[in-house]
Amino acid sequence: MSAPLISVDELTMRFGGLTAVDHLSFDVSEGTIHGLIGPNGAGKTTTFNMISGFYRPTGGRITFAGEPISGLPMHEVARRGLVRTFQHSTLFNELSVIDNVLVGTHMLFPPRLVAAILGRDGASRRAARERAEEALSFFGLHHLADELAGELPHGHQRALGMAIATAARPRAVLLDEPFTGMNGEETRRMMELMRKLKASGVTILIVEHDMQAIMGLCDSITVMSFGRLLAEGTPAEIRRNPKVIEAYLGGTPHAA
Amino acid sequence: MPRASAWTLGWLALAVALVLLPQALSFSQQEILVFLTINVLLVSSYRLLTLTGEWSLGHAVIMGVGAYASALVTKWTGLFVPLSMLVGALTAAAVAWVLSFPLFRMKGFYFLIGSFAAGEIIRLLWKRFQDPFGGAKGLKRIEPMPNLDLGFHHFDFFLPTNYYYFALVAVGICLWLMWRVERSPMGLAFHAVHWQDKLAQASGINVRGYRMLAFVLASGFAGLSGALLAHYIGTINPGSFGVEQMVFILTWAIVGGTSTFYGPILGVVVLTILNEIVLRGMGFEQARPLIYGFILILSVLFLPKGLESLVQGAMARWRVAAPRPAPVEREKQA
Amino acid sequence: MLELLAQTALNATYAASYIALVAVGLVLIFGVMGVINFAHGELFMLGAYAVVALYADLQLNFMMAVMVGLAFVGCVGLLMERALFRPLRDNPLGGLVASIGFLLILQALVVMGFGVRMEHIPPVTQEVIAFSDRVRFPLSRLYVVVAAVVLLTALWLFLKRTRFGWALRASAQDPEAAALQGISINQTARIAMFIGAGLAGVAGALTAPLVSVNPLMGHSVIVTAFIVIIVGGIGSLEGAVVAAVAYAFVHTIVTTFYDGVIADIVGLSLMLLVLIVKPHGLFGTAERA
Repeated sequence: MSAPLISVDELTMRFGGLTAVDHLSFDVSEGTIHGLIGPNGAGKTTTFNMISGFYRPTGGRITFAGEPISGLPMHEVARRGLVRTFQHSTLFNELSVIDNVLVGTHMLFPPRLVAAILGRDGASRRAARERAEEALSFFGLHHLADELAGELPHGHQRALGMAIATAARPRAVLLDEPFTGMNGEETRRMMELMRKLKASGVTILIVEHDMQAIMGLCDSITVMSFGRLLAEGTPAEIRRNPKVIEAYLGGTPHAA
Repeated sequence: MPRASAWTLGWLALAVALVLLPQALSFSQQEILVFLTINVLLVSSYRLLTLTGEWSLGHAVIMGVGAYASALVTKWTGLFVPLSMLVGALTAAAVAWVLSFPLFRMKGFYFLIGSFAAGEIIRLLWKRFQDPFGGAKGLKRIEPMPNLDLGFHHFDFFLPTNYYYFALVAVGICLWLMWRVERSPMGLAFHAVHWQDKLAQASGINVRGYRMLAFVLASGFAGLSGALLAHYIGTINPGSFGVEQMVFILTWAIVGGTSTFYGPILGVVVLTILNEIVLRGMGFEQARPLIYGFILILSVLFLPKGLESLVQGAMARWRVAAPRPAPVEREKQA
Repeated sequence: MLELLAQTALNATYAASYIALVAVGLVLIFGVMGVINFAHGELFMLGAYAVVALYADLQLNFMMAVMVGLAFVGCVGLLMERALFRPLRDNPLGGLVASIGFLLILQALVVMGFGVRMEHIPPVTQEVIAFSDRVRFPLSRLYVVVAAVVLLTALWLFLKRTRFGWALRASAQDPEAAALQGISINQTARIAMFIGAGLAGVAGALTAPLVSVNPLMGHSVIVTAFIVIIVGGIGSLEGAVVAAVAYAFVHTIVTTFYDGVIADIVGLSLMLLVLIVKPHGLFGTAERA
C-alpha cells in the first residue's frame, strides 16, 4: 500500500481536566472513502476539528501528504488541499448559489487588489466562474445558480456545501455528519455524489454518528470510543467486531 | 443596448446636476455642500470597514489621523497640498495597519471597545503633546489648497464652490475605487468573512487578513476625508474627531443602512438636508445633537435596515410592474 | 516620599470608590441584559446635576439630594430598559447604538436646562482629616468612600441573600434557563437597570461637589468604566471592584508623578494589553454576544 494521505499519530486533546481524544492514531489512504465513527461523545468531532485546523491539538501529530499540519489555522490546512464541510447547512445564506461556490474557488484564483480595481483580472474571474459552474454541475445544482443559498431545500444545501468545499479541487475533503437530518431519498443521492467524488480522485473522510448509514459507502472505517481507538478495518470486519457491537448497543451514550 | 445607454445618460445627468448644484445654493449652503461631499467619503469608507462584519468606534479618530498628518506635512515640508492629502491617507492606513494587530485579536463587543480605546489613546496623544500636535487647541492656519489656473477657469479654493469641485473629483475617484473593490472577488471574500467566517476560512480565506485589509483600506479613505476637511476649514483639534463625530458617522450609516453601497450615502445626504435646511432654517440648530439622538434611536427601533430598505422595496415593486427582459450579468467587465 | 505615597493611596481609595460604583452598575446591566450601556457616563452626569438642582440651587439637604439623585437616575434607567433595551433584546449592537443616541439626548437636555458652563457647587463640608501636615483627607471624600462601601456591600448581600438577587444572577448566567424556571426576564431587567443606573447616579451625586460638573463630564467616566470592566472581565462584579481599585491606584500614581493625560493613556494601554493577552478580562470567564 502506498503512503497514507492523511496520517494521525498519537493525537491528543484535553479540555481542562477532560481528555476528549487520547493518543489516537489512524491513517487514511489516498483515493478512499474513510469513515470515522463512534457513539456520542467518543471524540470524533473533536478529532475532525483538529484535523481541519479548527482546534489546536494538545499533543500528537497530523500529517497531510507527508507534511505536518497539526496546529495550522484552518485556512492554511485548506490551502494544502484538505478542505472541510460543516454540520447542518452552514452556507453563505445571503449570497447566491454561484457566489457561494465562487468563494470556494478563492484558493485557485486568489484576488489581487490592484488588478481588480483596474479590471485587469478578467481572465482570472472568468476562470473562477467556469470552475464554479463546473462544480455546480458536478453536484447537479447548475440550474439553481442564481437562487439565494438560504432559500434552497435542505438536500440541495448539503450538496452546495460539498460544491463549495470541492470548488478549489482539494485532494481530500472532510465531511462532518453529512447525512444528519436527511430522509432516505436524500441520503441515497448524497451517497451517489460521494462515490462520484471519489471516482474523480478525491479522498473523503466522513465523521458520522450513525454507523449503518455509511457501512455501504466506506472502504475502511475507524471506530472511536471514549476518545480512543476502538477498532479499524473494512465495513465487514467492523460489523462483526464484538467490541464495536458492545460500544454501540451495550454502553449508554456517554455525554462528554 | 438601450439599457446601457440609459445608465450612461443617468450618470451624465447626475454629473451635470452635481456640477450645477452650487449655483442653486447660498454661500453658507455651498459650505455645507463641501462638508457633505467630504462626509459622503467618510461614511462610505465606514461601510467598507463594516463589510467584514466588524463595527469600529475609532473611525472618527482615524479620519483625524489623516487630517493631522496632512496638515503637519504641509507645515514641515511645504509639500503640494493634494500630495500631502495622499500622505495623510497613507498615514491613516499605516496607523490602522499597526492598530489592527492588537484589535483583530478581538471580535464583536470587544472589538468595539478596543477600537474606541485605541482611538482615545490617539486623541489623548494629540491633546498631551503641544509639539507637534498643538495640544487641546490643535492646529491652526493649516496650509490652504493653492489656487489653480486652468485657463478656462481660475480656481480660488478659498471659495466653497471651487473647493467643492475639487472634493467632488477626489471623492468621486475614491467611491469608484471602493465600488471596484466591492464588486471584485476581493469584495466577495469580504462578504464571505462577514456572513460565515468559519466557512470562509475553511475555503482557504485568511479571515483575519481580510478583516485587516478592509480596516486598512477603509482607514486610508477616512484619512483622506480628514485631510480634505483640514485643508478646507484650516483648523483642527482633538475635539473635532471625538465621540460626537463618531456618533454622526454611526447615525448616517445606520439611518441609511449598510447592506448596499448607496445606503450610507443616502443616510448622510438625507440627514444633512434635514439638519441644514430644516433645523437651521427653523432656528433649531442648537438642537442638532438632540435630534440626532432621537433619529438614531428611532431608526434602530423602527427602521433597522435603514432608508435603503425603503428604496429596495420601492424598486422591487417597480420591477414587478415593469419586469426586465433578462438579468444583467453581475461579473460583467467594465 | 512616604507621605506622598500615603496621600496618593488616600486619593486612590477615593477614586476607586466612585469608579467601582459606576463599573459595577455597568457590569450588572451587561450581565443581565447583554448590552453595553454607552450612556452610563451620562447617568453619572445626571446624578451630579440632581445635586446641582436640589442642593446648590434649591438648597435642600445634601443627603436628601443624593437620595433623590439615586432614585431619579434609577427611574431614567427604567425608562431606558422599557424604551430601548427591551425592544432591542435580540440585537445587542442595536442596544449599544440606541444607548449612544440616548447619551446625546441626555447631554442635550442638560445643556438646555443648565447651559454648558461649569457648575459651582458649595462644599458640603470643609472639614479635613489631617493625618499629618502633608497627609490630609477631606471629609467630603470620606463620605464617598463610606457610601461606596455601604452600597456595594448592600448590593452584594442583595445578590447573594435575596430571591431577587438569585433570579438576577440566574438570568445573568443563562437567560433562557432562568426564563424556564419562571423568572421573568422583564422583571430582572428592570431591577438590574434600576440598580445599575441608580449606582451611576449616586456616584455622580456624591462626587458632584468634588469634581467639575458640566454636561460633557460623562465622557471620561465612561472611558474609565470601560477600562475597568474590560480589565475586570466583562461579566464579573467582583472583577469590576478589584479592577476599579487597581485602576484607581495606577491612575492616581501616574497622575501624581507625571500628569493626568499620561495616566489616561496608561490606563487605556493597560486595557488594550489585557484585551490582547486575555480577551475576556483578568477575571472573566463566560462570553456573551
